[in-house]
Amino acid sequence: MVQAATTEAREALKSAMARLANGDQSALAEIYDATSAKLFGICLRILGDRKEAEDALQDVYVNLWQRADRYDPTRASPISWLATFARNRAVDRLRSGKVRQGAVPVEEAAPIPDAAPLADSLLIDAEKATQIHACLEELEERQRGAIRSAFFDGQTYAELAETADVPLGTMKSWVRRGLQKLRGCLEASE
Amino acid sequence: MSDAPTIKRDDPMLAAEYSLGLLEGEELLTARGKMTDGGIFVSRKDWWDNWFIPLSDEMDGAAPDAQLWERIDSAVNAKESGTDAGADVIALKQRLRNWQIAGSTAAAAAVAAVVLMVVSPNTLNTIQGAGDPSAPTIAAAPAAPLMANVPIGDTNLRIGVTYLPEAKEMLVSASGLTADGVHDHELWLVPADGSNLQSLGVVVAGEERRVTLPAEITGNMGDGVAVVLTREPLGGKPDGIDAGPVVAQGAFTQV
Repeated sequence: MVQAATTEAREALKSAMARLANGDQSALAEIYDATSAKLFGICLRILGDRKEAEDALQDVYVNLWQRADRYDPTRASPISWLATFARNRAVDRLRSGKVRQGAVPVEEAAPIPDAAPLADSLLIDAEKATQIHACLEELEERQRGAIRSAFFDGQTYAELAETADVPLGTMKSWVRRGLQKLRGCLEASE
Repeated sequence: MSDAPTIKRDDPMLAAEYSLGLLEGEELLTARGKMTDGGIFVSRKDWWDNWFIPLSDEMDGAAPDAQLWERIDSAVNAKESGTDAGADVIALKQRLRNWQIAGSTAAAAAVAAVVLMVVSPNTLNTIQGAGDPSAPTIAAAPAAPLMANVPIGDTNLRIGVTYLPEAKEMLVSASGLTADGVHDHELWLVPADGSNLQSLGVVVAGEERRVTLPAEITGNMGDGVAVVLTREPLGGKPDGIDAGPVVAQGAFTQV
């Protein structure tokens, strides 16, 4: 039953994305209802500030409405694409200088008010999630930690190096070695 | 102490770094430049995006403020009704519809982004290197807007340039760009007669601007005329030295 409901929710999202691309404004409300908890969680995690995260989220949906045709179903599932889009917008905002980086340390940013585990229908891909976790586990701790910080906190090489108190070149070397190994592991799983 | 041997930094590696958002400055622009080719590098970034994004399932969901949807809805409605834009933009929307019917959807989408954007009055901050005003010009048909879409990365990263001939106004949307604090980007018109490039000003990352262009530039505007984006020191190309490398390009199309 859960699987059927999840499939149905995903098909509904796919259909709403297609309608949005054809200019159906009502589809935006459906997409918002279905995805805002997931996308807001991402923006909040990256930005660590509710107001900033809400501004980023507004930007995501208004931009989605303006450029709905950018979504290409052959490249990613709707939720995967929307989540990537939201993360990118949040990271852009973090870099724009409007947000004081590091103003909200991770340990203070969590737990998030109103935080809730996501419904199954909003999980991107359990199989892929399991696989990338398994591949990350094969990396050295410092490689895995840096890659996770880049993804979850939107940190650049320079910021990672500063946080770890190592030279920039050393951090790049750690991460690249980790990415190389990660790539091999993920490719082998395909 | 080094962690030798050195890791080979090939395109798949660069795509991973770009996907994660690790890059800054020159490296970031290199990756964005590769995204403009639209080929294998884009696929490589998609591949990494699709592997990394399931990690976001670890992030708890959270409910935004209940009023956020109202803000989004009114922003969309304001843009739809044109209440936040001038008559030129409303007229442009009609042309866009006509053009969409003609079937050029990708470019039409870029125009839509300009049509829907919130424009703010502004002035061009730098105009340098004007071309020869006596040279032959390619004039746009009266009132026919020209649009150039300058992709400088993936779908988030493109500059939309629209020129409204009657008002002699240019709308530049650079909402997808982020400043790296080290470089600025300068937009240039490439006159069809081979005369010198004309600066259309420094692009302000993350902003949308409306500027009025002088006659020596408007005379060179026309269907098919190219624009290029160069990477410059902060503040734009200094006098007396060559422009920086071209990082993106596009061409005006009559809408």
